[in-house]
Parts: sequence; C-alpha cells; structure tokens
Amino acid sequence: MKRTLRIGWVLLAATALFAANPSSIKLLNVSYDPTRELYQDINAAFAKQWKAKTGVDVQVSQSHGGSGKQARAVIDGLQADIVTLALSYDIDSIAERARVLPANWQARLPNNSTPYTSTIVFLVRKGNPKHIKDWDDLVKPGISVITPNPKSSGGARWAYLAAWGYALKKNNSDDAKAQDFVTRLYKNVPVLDSGARGSTTTFAQRGIGDVLLSWENEAYLALNELGKDKVEVVVPAISILAEPPVAVVDKYANKHGNAEIAKAYLEFLYTEEGQEIGAKNFYRPRLEKVAAKYADRFPKLQLFTIDELFGGWQKAQKKHFDDGGLFDKIYTPGK
Amino acid sequence: MFSRKRSFELFLVVATQAFHMRAQVPDPQTQDQKIQELEKKVEELDQRVRVSDRTRELEAEAAADKSRSGATVGAEPTGITIRSNDQNFLLKIGLDIQVDNRTFPGESSVPLTDQILIRRARPALSGTVYKYIDFYLRPDFGQGSTVLYEAYVQLNYFSRANLRVGKFKPPVGLERLQSDDDTSFVERGFPTLLVPSRDIGYQISGDVVKRRVSYTVGVFNGVPDNGLSDASVSDHRDYAARIFLTPFLPNTNHPLSGLGFGIGASSGNNDNIPLPSYKTFGQNTFFSFASGVTSMGHRTRLAPQAYYYNGPFGLFAEYTVSEEGLQKGTVRRDIAFRAWQVQASYLLTGDKKGFTTLSPRKNFDPKNHGWGAVELAVRTGDFSVERGFFNYGFGTVATSPRSAREWVGGVNWYLNRAVRISLDYGYTKFGGGAPAALGGNRPIERALLQRFQINF
Repeated sequence: MKRTLRIGWVLLAATALFAANPSSIKLLNVSYDPTRELYQDINAAFAKQWKAKTGVDVQVSQSHGGSGKQARAVIDGLQADIVTLALSYDIDSIAERARVLPANWQARLPNNSTPYTSTIVFLVRKGNPKHIKDWDDLVKPGISVITPNPKSSGGARWAYLAAWGYALKKNNSDDAKAQDFVTRLYKNVPVLDSGARGSTTTFAQRGIGDVLLSWENEAYLALNELGKDKVEVVVPAISILAEPPVAVVDKYANKHGNAEIAKAYLEFLYTEEGQEIGAKNFYRPRLEKVAAKYADRFPKLQLFTIDELFGGWQKAQKKHFDDGGLFDKIYTPGK
Repeated sequence: MFSRKRSFELFLVVATQAFHMRAQVPDPQTQDQKIQELEKKVEELDQRVRVSDRTRELEAEAAADKSRSGATVGAEPTGITIRSNDQNFLLKIGLDIQVDNRTFPGESSVPLTDQILIRRARPALSGTVYKYIDFYLRPDFGQGSTVLYEAYVQLNYFSRANLRVGKFKPPVGLERLQSDDDTSFVERGFPTLLVPSRDIGYQISGDVVKRRVSYTVGVFNGVPDNGLSDASVSDHRDYAARIFLTPFLPNTNHPLSGLGFGIGASSGNNDNIPLPSYKTFGQNTFFSFASGVTSMGHRTRLAPQAYYYNGPFGLFAEYTVSEEGLQKGTVRRDIAFRAWQVQASYLLTGDKKGFTTLSPRKNFDPKNHGWGAVELAVRTGDFSVERGFFNYGFGTVATSPRSAREWVGGVNWYLNRAVRISLDYGYTKFGGGAPAALGGNRPIERALLQRFQINF
C-alpha cells in the first residue's frame, strides 16, 4: 500500500511539474482591422526571441476586426490575453465594463501604452483624376469618399476627427463650421464598412469611390499590394496623430497563466527590433533611432493630437460617436 | 436600391443616344464633348451599381455576423427554447403538471380518502452550454412539499461515453426510467417500488454496436427502495449498472425493431438508510416495517426487463428482486422483496406506440377533424416478501400483507404531445396479512384514478 502511495505521489509531482513547465504557450491578441501584417511579423520575431530566451514555443493567435467591435467582443467574454486596438477609448471601455484590466492600464507602458503612431492619409486612383490634394477637395460635389463607420471602426473615428480638426484649425475653432464641413464630407460617402480593411476592399477591390480615408500604414500596404500603377497616396497638409494603444488583459492572461509572456510581448513592441518591424509595416516608430532610420518612409505633415483639439477620447466619444451624438446627426444611411 | 437591370436599361438608352448622335455627324468638338458627357454618365451609373452591390454585400455580412452571435427564441412541443444561432447554447423551459382525482369505490376497513390533488408540479430548466455540456434542473412542488427531483450536468463530448453528475434516476428499473408522461398508467407498477427513484452520484452511459446495445454504470450514495435523498447517511456507496439490448433497432422496418430487453442491477451496503413503505396503485401505504427495524448490511437489486412495441401495440414486462439486510435488536437477516408486472397497450387511433413520448398523428382540433390519440391499456402485477420478514419480527401481519396482486385497466386520451387525460381503474388484492379479527386479509382496494396532465 505504501509503495502504491509513493508511486502515486511521484506521478502527481511529475504531472504538476509538467503542467508548470509547458513546452508551448498560446496567446490571443485581439487587434483592430489593418494590423494583420504587422502582428504576423511581430509574432514570428517574438516567438523566436522567446524560444531563445526560455526554450518555450509560443503561438500567438490573432483576431482582427473593427476596433469598437473587437472591444465589444472582449467585453462579451472573448478571452484575449492582449488587446492592441485602434484607440484608448476602446480599451477604457473594456476596463470599465468588463473589469478585466485596471483603469490605469495606460500608465503601465511607455508613451501611454502606444508603442507606435500613425495618421490618416488619402488613397486615390492612379493619376489622381479628381485632383484631390487636401481636405477641402473631399467636400466638393461629385467626389466619392470611402471611409468605414466610426461607430464600429477605430480608424474611421480617427479619420472623422482628422477632418473635424482640419476644419477647426481652418475656421478659428468654429465648431459649427467644422460640423458643416464634416457633414458635407459624409454626404460624399456612399457606403460605410464596419472596419478599415473592409473599406480598403471597397475602394481597391470593388472599385468604388475616388478617395479612401486610410490609416497611413494601410494606404502604403495597399500601394505595395495593388501597385503604383493603380493607386497613389496623397498626404494632406494637416492630419491627426493617431496613437493606437496596447494592453495586457490581466484577468484572462492570469487565468491562462500568460501574464508574464503577455507583458513581455507588449514590451517587445518597444524594443529596437519591434520598432523596426513596425516601421517596415508603415507604423511610425516611437524610438528616435528607428524613426531616424526610416524617416524617408513617413512624410512630414502637421499633426494635431486628440487631447489638443478634442479634450481626449472620453469627451470626443461622448460628443461625436455615442448614440445620439453628432455623427448620428451628420450621417443618415442611404442619403 | 439601384438594380443591375435598371442600370443596364439606362446604359442602353445612353448608348442608343450615342449611336443616334454619331449618325447625325455633328462637328468633331461637339461630338467629343458629348462623348465625354456620356462617359461620365456611364461612370456614374457604374459607381451606383457598384455601391449598390457593395451595400448588399455588407448587409449580407452583417446579417451573417448577427446570425452567428445572436439567439433564437422558439416554442416547440418539447418546451420553450432560447437557442444561440451557433447551436452551442440552449435554454429550455418545461413544465409538468398533473392534477389527479382519486376515488375509492366500495367499503373498506382501511380509511381511504377520496381527493383531488396536485400529484406533480414540476417546472424544468434544461439545456446546453458550450455545445457538449447539458444540464437539467427539476424541482417538484406537488402534494404540498418542495423536493428537488433532478439536478445534473452531463458531458456529451464522447458519443459512446456520456458522463452525468448530480441527482437523477439510477439505472435499475425499466418503468422508473420511463418518464411519467410516457407511462401507460397514472401510477407505476409494483416493481418500481423496489428500485431507487433518484440518487446523487456519477454515471457513464452510451450506445454502442450501432445503437443495438446501451449501457450505464454509476456510483451513488444509495437510497431506500423507491426513495430519493439529497445527502448520504453512511460512508457506503451503491453501485448500479444496466445493459439493454435493442438488437433489431437499426432497421426500423423490421417487425422486431421495437424489441428491447436487458437487466438493471444495484449493489451496496445500506447501513442505517431509512426504510421505505410500499404503496398501492391508489397510493395508499399497504406495507411497512415494524418499529426498531433498521437497514443493516448488503442490499442487492436485480431487475430483468423487456418491452416490445409494434405499431399501435405495446407490451412491457419487468421483474425486480430487492434483497436487503434488516436488523431488529440482535437479529439480522437478509430479506428478499419481489415484484413483477406485465402491461399491454393498444392505440385505437392507429398511432405508433413506443417507450418514449407519444406524438399523435392528429392533434386535438375537432374543427379540423383532429381528435388526438386514444389508448387502451391493461396490466397485472404482484408484490411479495419472504416469510422470514414476519418470522424475524421485521414486520407484522397486522399492518403488512405478505403479498399483493393488482389488475389495472385504463384509457388514455392524448390530445397532443403535451396534454393527456387518463382514467384508470385498479383492483388490488392482498394475501397473507392483516389479522383475522379484521375479517382475514387486508381488504381489496378498488381505486378509480383520473388525471389531467400537461408536460412539455
């Protein structure tokens, strides 16, 4: 009997040891629409680095969609270890409504947990037949503008605020004139996709519209994929500094035993290697050394921040994008 | 919505105009201007068609998305359901209400009370979570008490080995395993008195050999005959198993496809488990134990069982022996209780009879010539205890007969799958019990039981 018990304890200990030292780890990164290619590259580089450091294989699963839609999925129970969304409001919503990460999540990593930045530019058809150079050209009659739905897409919210901010700056912060400008712009929008990648499909694959309001990285990706004989990137004189944030979802990362690796994964984004991968995928690096190296990739333009013109995401969201907000007044489907 | 057909028509009009204009041969400058205008119109039309197509595409994507994440509420013959569109989650709300009217015609020295009562009032919550895990919760509020009848979780991932944990029917008696809305009579027969009603434990079950063989094995707390409890009273466990064969089932056209037979059994020590009392068809206690008697030692139940269903005809038989250790003072003996029954039923309306719920071909709806299904059923059965029960003082003939024989005839009217009205007449004769001073054996019990039942 004693011998049987001893064997039992040995087996139990071996099982515990095996469970405590898994040979493979799985992470789920829930991200927004146009980051597919970025995180494919990041995942491969991080897995290689983690394997070399710990000897453990790591598989990172990716989930992509409109940023707001992805945030709702996590709030509804999608057990993401990491969220890398288009704007901090969406992660704030997760923290507030699902309570799966602390409210001060943004203070846990440098640069308010935004390892890279981007902006909103225009993608037009080859030769720019409608002569679109800046924001004013988007509100002219006969111009068809493609942009996703700000209710579901983070990129669309950045684009909307970029247009609004441009109008504010042009009209001495006159909110009414800004609203009129954005209203005229959305009158030129024939269809709203739910996410940035969907809008790129609408513009590039379905051949709809004269101009796509696009993430900078998405625009250059489309340019590379479609070819310079099909589309051109037009950089407006002024646009918004988009700061997509990242965070560990503590509750689920802890539950999966992934807290340490999830944190390491996000910290990797700030390393020189991570920043280089970001720059190669047309995300503006935070690290000055990398930014200098890839300076020719990123045209210089005047960038304003959301805090500067809109008082932060909470205020912007409430005023413009919540139900009954200005966007609901500005845009009427089918008109 | 701007359709392709409409745009094609417009395109034809524009093209025809272009042809006429070319035919008129205006000056080249005007001609180029006209062509440019037409090209612009064609481009606009093309954009409108593309936008229309894309809008439809997005609407379809949104609908598919919603369909994946949403849920559907339904009302089905088996209950009210809320089902996730990905089929992974289900909540079903059911109800079982039985209102009985018991009448005991004739004279009897034993006071039998005519009454109308709520025999069962059982709301049921059941369903599925994460596709493979079922749950079932069913209390009973009937007869003025609240009893938890079923509460279990079942893992269905492996089709040949389902794991069930909680409180449910142990796999012993055939009629006990049949749902009370499927039995042919208002009350079950004698063999059910000798098998557990509900018990708490673990069970693995499955169908193998192309559904020809079903098996169940489980370990339970152990409960008295026909009893149920929410906690164990001893360290001992009951082990139960059942194997049931339906050798011709896969071929539903075979005349023996409705044949099933098998055996259920349980075994375990039953020290200090409360002792049962046994009731007649009219639900009057006819057999009880003397005071000071306790259960002590081993208990074994064996229950060979069979049924045969062919079209409207049904035959059902089972035999049960329950041998259990009893102790009074220093005397301890194993005493055997035996019971059997045979049932036959026939659906006059030609509907198909089976072990599970009957669904009439035509539900009750006289305006549309629907009357439901009508069934005639008869059964006979017997209960007996070995003489040692009395010889060792575990009971007395003053309160418990040595045997009982019953004959029951009934008619069932199934208005639809959920509603049934039943009328049964039961005749129970007792032997070897009750003192001579009362005129020999315990008086014959004549019981007229009527039930209105809704169950979904």
